Amino acid sequence: MCGIIGCVGRVDETLDVLVHGLSKLEYRGYDSAGVALSGDRVDVCKKSGKIEDLRGALESRSIGGAAGIGHTRWSTHGPPTDANAHPHLDCTGDVAVVHNGIIENYQSLRDELATAGHTFKSDTDTEVVPHLVEDALADGADNEAAVREAIARLEGSYAVAVVVSGDDTIYAARNDSPLVLGIDDGDDERGPAYYLASDVPAFRDFTDRVVYLADGEFATLSADSWRVSDVDGNAVDKVVDTVDWDPEETGKSGYDHFMLKEIHEQPRAIRQCLRGRVDEMAATVDIGDLGDLLPTGVQFVACGTSYHAALYGAQLLRNAGIPAHAFLASEYATSPPPIGDALVVGVTQSGETADTLSALREARKRGARTLAVTNTVGSTVARECDHELYIRAGPEIGVAASKTFASQLAALNLFTLGTTRVDGVRDTIGALRDLPSNIQTILDESRAEAVAEEYVDSNAYFFIGRGLQYPVALEGALKMKEITYKHAEGFAAGELKHGPLALVTEDTPVFAVVTGDGEMARKTIGNVKEVEARDAPVVAVTDGQSDVGRYADEVLEVPETHPQAAAVLANVQLQLVSYHVADKLGRSIDKPRNLAKSVTVE
Amino acid sequence: MSIDTAVVLAAGEGTRLRPLTRNRPKPMLPAANRPILKYVFDALVAADVRQIVVVVGYKRGRVQDHFGPTYAGVDLKYVTQHKQLGSGHALHQAREAVDGSTLVVNGDRVIDANIVRDVVDEFERSGDPSMAVLERPETSQYGAVVLHEGDVAELVEKPDTDEYRLINAGVYAFESSVFPAIDATERSDGELALTDTIGRLMDDGRVRGVRTEGMWVDATYPWDLLTVADEVLARGHVDEPQREGATWVDPAANVHDAAILQGPVVVGPDCEIGPGAVVGPNAALGQNVTVGANATVRNSVLDTDTRVESGSTLIDAVTGQDVTLGAGTVVPGGPADVRVGREVFEDQRLGAVVADRVTAEGDASFSPGTLVGPDAHIGTSVRAGGRIAGGAEVVR
Repeated sequence: MCGIIGCVGRVDETLDVLVHGLSKLEYRGYDSAGVALSGDRVDVCKKSGKIEDLRGALESRSIGGAAGIGHTRWSTHGPPTDANAHPHLDCTGDVAVVHNGIIENYQSLRDELATAGHTFKSDTDTEVVPHLVEDALADGADNEAAVREAIARLEGSYAVAVVVSGDDTIYAARNDSPLVLGIDDGDDERGPAYYLASDVPAFRDFTDRVVYLADGEFATLSADSWRVSDVDGNAVDKVVDTVDWDPEETGKSGYDHFMLKEIHEQPRAIRQCLRGRVDEMAATVDIGDLGDLLPTGVQFVACGTSYHAALYGAQLLRNAGIPAHAFLASEYATSPPPIGDALVVGVTQSGETADTLSALREARKRGARTLAVTNTVGSTVARECDHELYIRAGPEIGVAASKTFASQLAALNLFTLGTTRVDGVRDTIGALRDLPSNIQTILDESRAEAVAEEYVDSNAYFFIGRGLQYPVALEGALKMKEITYKHAEGFAAGELKHGPLALVTEDTPVFAVVTGDGEMARKTIGNVKEVEARDAPVVAVTDGQSDVGRYADEVLEVPETHPQAAAVLANVQLQLVSYHVADKLGRSIDKPRNLAKSVTVE
Repeated sequence: MSIDTAVVLAAGEGTRLRPLTRNRPKPMLPAANRPILKYVFDALVAADVRQIVVVVGYKRGRVQDHFGPTYAGVDLKYVTQHKQLGSGHALHQAREAVDGSTLVVNGDRVIDANIVRDVVDEFERSGDPSMAVLERPETSQYGAVVLHEGDVAELVEKPDTDEYRLINAGVYAFESSVFPAIDATERSDGELALTDTIGRLMDDGRVRGVRTEGMWVDATYPWDLLTVADEVLARGHVDEPQREGATWVDPAANVHDAAILQGPVVVGPDCEIGPGAVVGPNAALGQNVTVGANATVRNSVLDTDTRVESGSTLIDAVTGQDVTLGAGTVVPGGPADVRVGREVFEDQRLGAVVADRVTAEGDASFSPGTLVGPDAHIGTSVRAGGRIAGGAEVVR
């Protein structure tokens, strides 16, 4: 759950490149950070806290080196302290290691190494790696062979990068944790430079040419060349891809927070998701060869916000007559249901979510076909699944997902339209094409900030919805929890009276999502009245087609549209409410406590 | 003394362009099918500017959302002018973001790189504050300039006589000393105009007036967007790839084989044009515009997400964003006498201006010169005319 960066070939700029890369990776974890540079010796500086704290610590140090590695940490083994921060060293101080993932056999390795006389300074699983390298070096292995030997001892998930004193080379390997190389061959004026990182933004300011490492591969980056090899050391021919998005998409463009910027990017994100894939007049959807899948059953696996998108997707498919269910990936991985002929669809923004990957692997082991719905080209999920559907939302930096949820919903509409036979395709496509302008209307006119002001001091927040708005209620509550640290729960509107109603008081606002004027709206309005009778303030998110506004203390309007699109719109209002509550509470909105953007541990 | 920084003033609404400015400032209105401000950025980037400071204010989110943190590899830094108290006040908001000499450019007029380069050259040669000056037959809407041996001798805002023939193009180069000069400038009516500061600089030394001839197109009133589009299309200054003749179509647009595009015409991404539709000449379609079967669109600017249903006819029309015109809508076109406030503009080429999020049900028609405010709802078969207020519900 951490971020790794490495760089060779930048001479005096190594440290700056590493710190810059760490700042771009901070979303992956941020309870401590550190760097190691190798020259004649290995210099290490590391600090618990944010990247800013590391910067502060570096000011009083002069460290340099031609090859360097850096790490931003999100604790799994041991609390966030200076000692537990990466990089970790061996006993001699000649070997420095950064690691993302979990080494499952670390306890036995550690016992073995401790018995052999090695001294451990941290509580981390990572620290066994430099000591293993140290032993191999002591046995006479050269640097690369020593690192290979150490890696071969590891079980579990890892992306590891190693530097050794007196050697301008970075050695790296991956298994089940992301690692990507950045290639800059240089030009007449400057020599080549090579990078490695958990994610492209870390070095995207320096190069757009990337190589995605596969599990079991080993990378060697030196000042004038790079090489990828397999477990046995045989060279592997790797494709150099070019990433197309602009690095500066990761700036805040005048907003106080990435999250607000990303909420405002939703019209554009939806346009990109739909571009070239829909033809309203012909009433056709083009999602390439996915259109031939014609699944007879679908099982979604996902976590967090993506799970809410999966719940929505499953409903769309059921409405189209396809049996479909959404499962929490962490549960599915350990107790999978009978799969039968079902297509198993993993929804994950990052494409690296360990729980989702593990559920998909479980499904594949049982012979299932798999599809990845993801935002990240070249991610592990995209490479491991039989098919992939990209949501094209562009990079999302805020830890709390916003635009990627909207894009996931849009993409799941495309998937449903493209793989099933449903009526009203033209109307649905028309509604999808109207989404960007409808979202813009909300962004221009939303009263969410005033509603947030009104209820910022409440004890708890409840969210209710029915049908396609049920996942929206769940997502509204999750967003509120994530960024405001307040108690928030989402319920199927009909479930309220079966228990949760006991929680409702005059100090717990209830957000009711009611769109349309059909049976669902009428029933949810009935639930709203139950709430109102308990004196709870009611905030209705509505398109004004029903009379829910009469029973509400506050109304957040969304444009009238197709029911499938209405869920996307209602969610935008709830995003804005959570954002403004968190802002008024002074929360760390882009980096909520204890959370990281992509959860690469199970 | 090279200049690689520019401050772009994009904070003002542009009230004379109402009702199109309800949701965005004038720099975000379309010149053909992309925002005016994009042309300004293009000109600066082509003139080797490496850092752009954008002063935003009115509806600033629209500028920030559209352009994001960089443009064509150049950093965009946004500073906010919370109250629009004049161009000098706007520039002053950027003082912390500027280090050394800087270009200053109005963000609400289409310009090209020649104008910028001419100003940079003069500033680098003379070291004096410099401003671009253009010859125009009509100076009454602008700042008129009198030059004496290349120095600005006189600056007259919106002169009421016709003795002037040069205008201030709104492209300047200054040293950082412009900021203390703004500090020292007295406000008039609470506002701080950049031209007043230039007046001070003229008293203290020389201000160079740079005669230039580049593309410079301004919209004062909503219907001017039609002539702006004509000029931009005539020069082919659009992003979309050229198909044939003066026809530019984005690859992600969906034009039916049985639709006819008559150049000059530009069609943005995600547009759909149905069978039998005739689009152009002089038509500019923004992103995701829909033109239904057998509709005719000529001499018109249709902004992002506009829907024109089948069988409609639009001539000399300007639509805002997210406008829906039902089947059989008719805008027969100008000329017309257009009333804005107490003023009447005679004989203008204008069919109708339809602001953001207006919906017209089918079979509505708009008499020449109709101005429809945002969010208005026009019922079926309504004969609309004159000025329709924002949010109005019009039934037959």
